[in-house]
Amino acid sequence: MIALKLVPHLVAFFGMATVALRGATRRGMLAGTALAGFLVGTGFAVVSTGSVSGQFSFSLVRALLALSFLLFCAVSFTALYQSLGGSLPVGWLERLSSRPVSRSCALFLASAAAGAVAGCRLGPAVPSWVWGALAAAAAVLVLAAVLLESRLPAGLSTSRAGYLALTVAFLLFSASWSTRLDLFAPLTMKVMKFTHDFVHQFFESMLIPDHLFIHSYLWGYIGLLFGKEVGFWGGLIIWFTPVVMVFLAIGLERLPSVAHLRQGAQRRRVLAEAIRTRRMRLVLPGLALVLLASAVYRSLYPSVEYWDPKPVPVTANAGGEIFLPRKGEIDLMDGKLHKYVFERGGKTARFFVLLTPSGKLTVDLDACAICKPDGYGQAEGTVLCYYCKTLIPLETVGKPGGCNPVPVPFTEQDDGIHLSGVTLINTWSGTVQSTTRTTEKGK
Amino acid sequence: MLIRILKNSFLKRPKSVLLVLLSITMGAAVATAFLGIAGEVSHKMALELRSYGANILLEPTALEGGGYLREDDLPKIKTVFWKYNITGFTPYLFGVADLAAAGRHERSVVAGTWFSKEVQVPGEESTEQGIKGMAPWWDLKGRWPEAADEAIVGAALARRLKLVQGSELAATVRGTVQRFRVCGVVTTGGFEEEQLFAPLVTVQQLLGQQGKISRVLVSALTVPMDDFGRKDPSTMTKDEYEKWYCTAYVTSVAKNVEEVMSGSRAKPIWQIASAEGALLTKLNAVMLLLTLLALGASATAVSTSLMASMAERSPEIALMKAMGADRFQISSIFLGEILIISVVGGLIGYLIGNQLAALISHTVFNSTIASPLWLIPMAVGSAFLVACAGSIAPLRRALLIEPVRVLKG
Amino acid sequence: MAVATIETSGLTRSYGEICALKPIDLSVPEGEWLSVMGHSGSGKSTLMNLVGGLDRPTAGALVVGGQDLSTLTEDGLARFRREYVGIIFQQHHLVPYLSALENVMLSQYFHSVPDEAEARHALERVGLGHRLKNRPGELSGGEQQRVCIARAIINSPKLLLGDEPTGNLDHKSTLMVMELLKELRAEERFTVVMVTHNEEVAAWGDRTIYLTDGVLVREERTRS
Repeated sequence: MIALKLVPHLVAFFGMATVALRGATRRGMLAGTALAGFLVGTGFAVVSTGSVSGQFSFSLVRALLALSFLLFCAVSFTALYQSLGGSLPVGWLERLSSRPVSRSCALFLASAAAGAVAGCRLGPAVPSWVWGALAAAAAVLVLAAVLLESRLPAGLSTSRAGYLALTVAFLLFSASWSTRLDLFAPLTMKVMKFTHDFVHQFFESMLIPDHLFIHSYLWGYIGLLFGKEVGFWGGLIIWFTPVVMVFLAIGLERLPSVAHLRQGAQRRRVLAEAIRTRRMRLVLPGLALVLLASAVYRSLYPSVEYWDPKPVPVTANAGGEIFLPRKGEIDLMDGKLHKYVFERGGKTARFFVLLTPSGKLTVDLDACAICKPDGYGQAEGTVLCYYCKTLIPLETVGKPGGCNPVPVPFTEQDDGIHLSGVTLINTWSGTVQSTTRTTEKGK
Repeated sequence: MLIRILKNSFLKRPKSVLLVLLSITMGAAVATAFLGIAGEVSHKMALELRSYGANILLEPTALEGGGYLREDDLPKIKTVFWKYNITGFTPYLFGVADLAAAGRHERSVVAGTWFSKEVQVPGEESTEQGIKGMAPWWDLKGRWPEAADEAIVGAALARRLKLVQGSELAATVRGTVQRFRVCGVVTTGGFEEEQLFAPLVTVQQLLGQQGKISRVLVSALTVPMDDFGRKDPSTMTKDEYEKWYCTAYVTSVAKNVEEVMSGSRAKPIWQIASAEGALLTKLNAVMLLLTLLALGASATAVSTSLMASMAERSPEIALMKAMGADRFQISSIFLGEILIISVVGGLIGYLIGNQLAALISHTVFNSTIASPLWLIPMAVGSAFLVACAGSIAPLRRALLIEPVRVLKG
Repeated sequence: MAVATIETSGLTRSYGEICALKPIDLSVPEGEWLSVMGHSGSGKSTLMNLVGGLDRPTAGALVVGGQDLSTLTEDGLARFRREYVGIIFQQHHLVPYLSALENVMLSQYFHSVPDEAEARHALERVGLGHRLKNRPGELSGGEQQRVCIARAIINSPKLLLGDEPTGNLDHKSTLMVMELLKELRAEERFTVVMVTHNEEVAAWGDRTIYLTDGVLVREERTRS
């Protein structure tokens, strides 16, 4: 299960290492750097999710990913600018980045990021054998990358922007497998918010909702800007812009001058060769494009077979009462299962809130009275007990008995849901602890 | 240049291009239609099987000698451990009666049952139980019985007794006579067409079996049977038994129901129980197989027509080779042609397949479907696949052409 | 003239039992115009195909332009053909659905990249500047052959092969084609190997070899 979970991340790491080795000089050292980076990244992520609050490490990794994306944007823009004939005072930067040391550093950072993503996916408390297996797998993959790279056709030339494109694409692809690390979804949200605020302020500054020039049908179009689609399409544009820039930059690169060659055939041969290498250089960004597209797909359709949100930690107020707003960051009324985790006095209890088809909210433990507390996922019209795979009709969620989740008493008010932390912990202890104990005895 | 070559080649030989296009379009259309229907229908069937199919049969343990179950026990079914997984149940009481209508006589089975009865269970919301909910595939001409002396008759029986909606008939059992008004004729495709269905209470009075029923059909939401579910519970470890008991296999639900109905034995109706899992996979497998066959046929057609056009074009290929075109360049010309044809063919095929799917599902399944958009890349992809598969042999042949021999001729 | 364009020793080609070309030793210096004469079935076309990399020898060494053709792969041979050889056929063999210009450009395309201006110039050079857009079917035999010549020389080959290039042409066209070839050779300095059974055409070359039943029977220098 864990192995399966890590496959995309390992694949991403493998691809990244292979790309980095292309055209490099000291490949053994580079390979070692990649491996070290990956393991350091994983270790860091595992330790930090375990010790600091999980939310923080996730945000940190996500920020790093976003940073790499921004860097990629910048590089792609300069590449395009330069191939259009512009010159930038970045000579020192280019000299610096073409040195082998900086290449190793970049690879180390990139592999560390890949490792961090994998580590976040692993979560805290990793048994030591998993560590061993992961290190072995990474080492094997690095070796395989070295092998694969030497087998690739020599004509597959690359460009710096292409490298970066593919590396970042691999990172984002890797991150898209975790709903909490995925960058595309927050990007669409940001875009949506931005447009919303922009349009709002723009029209407010005009102070003329009924301007003569703004006919009502125009308002229809303006309304479009507030839709969900704006975020999606806007995000899509931002997401793919840098790769497209790299494509353009490579495609618009000047062909070598052939005016000095007298013979037509020779001239054409030089041109053909230049065009061929240029095409080859498009391979990396092309792959990056595919990876980014699949990252978007992953983000839109997460791979979980069942809707299974990560439990959101909640706290109780001074009165020991947990309050969940009806429409806050999480929309309780959307008919989806929303999981929370509550901790008190060293005891934790998982519970979820769900709007049943009859239109009533229900709060239940993420466990039933008899099974091991593996929790529930939501499928179409049912929830599914992960332990015994029994489907429970949505209408009956909130009723006790069977493999149904154990209901928790709560009060529903206009603003949201109020429930007592003590009751929650007690219900959890009363039902779940007993089942875990009997199960252990049964073994 | 490639584009120029392709353009001219298309314009010069519209017939053979059209032929290939036609085969690819057919393949893509069939693939689209089948995949569209498979996706839609299996979804619908899953819903129907899940919600309506009875999969547990409750019978008295002592069937000989007129064993009966008690009607009073019925509400208990909604109180068992798996109560939420039980989506419906229907009791039946069977007896043989002499039916007489308009001078015709016939001995036939009279079944007392619930059509749509509100069941009250303390502490639970009341539910509607009965045939109406559990057998939606029954094709009823007329309406469901409402009064105690109303009945519906099976189509075969109705034909023999010349019964139509509104007819009257009399049922006699050991001297007791009960008159029924026919309010519907039902076609089911099964043995039910030979029977008369009347409200349970009426039939109980007629047969003199107050408060008794002879079987219950239960429909439960179950987990498809797997190897674990087939294990004998008595050989399980405690951990396993616990998991088995709390998994909604049809066997565990049946056992659960059996416990509350005194003197009953529950039998999973395997056909339907396994149908939930197996039938759907089979249906999908058949659809997939048909799709593959259709695609294979169309690939063969593509291959044949390409082979023919390749024979016609062999001087051209030989010439290109003589001019120094390598295998990659030759292949890219032909694959380029194929790519264009297959994209066009795929799109046309999608449009046709869409209509085909709508038509088939309308005539065969009597439901409308909307082909999902993801079928477009599927259609184009399958068209391309077909085209590629079909062009392997011709392309190999093209690459094997020896310019010396062809150009000499 | 010391460098040999074509160097064969013991070159043999047999099709099953039939030996089309008995072991043959031949050396063609760079820039020479060699005419190959013989009756049909004498093995002259076989020799030309071998030299042009269109066929592989059964035995013997065959070095053209410094490359041992028997060691090349199929794609290697194709590469050799497009970079080193230009071929003119008796039956012209133009792609029927492409215009004269496009036929020339096709050769450029296989070689490297098409260049329309250059192709047009090449056709103008062979006197077909006015028939660029015509399809082969709309051209006379002589014109078609001139398109072939333009196509053969467009990639500046080191070796021009002619397989009875004038076999289908009348006397006037033959003269025109031969004149053209001579002119072009003077400019481009390629080596010519031309198979013919016409003494008059053969006489255009520097040297003529005579093949009978796959054996080189006689060789004759036409001019010094």
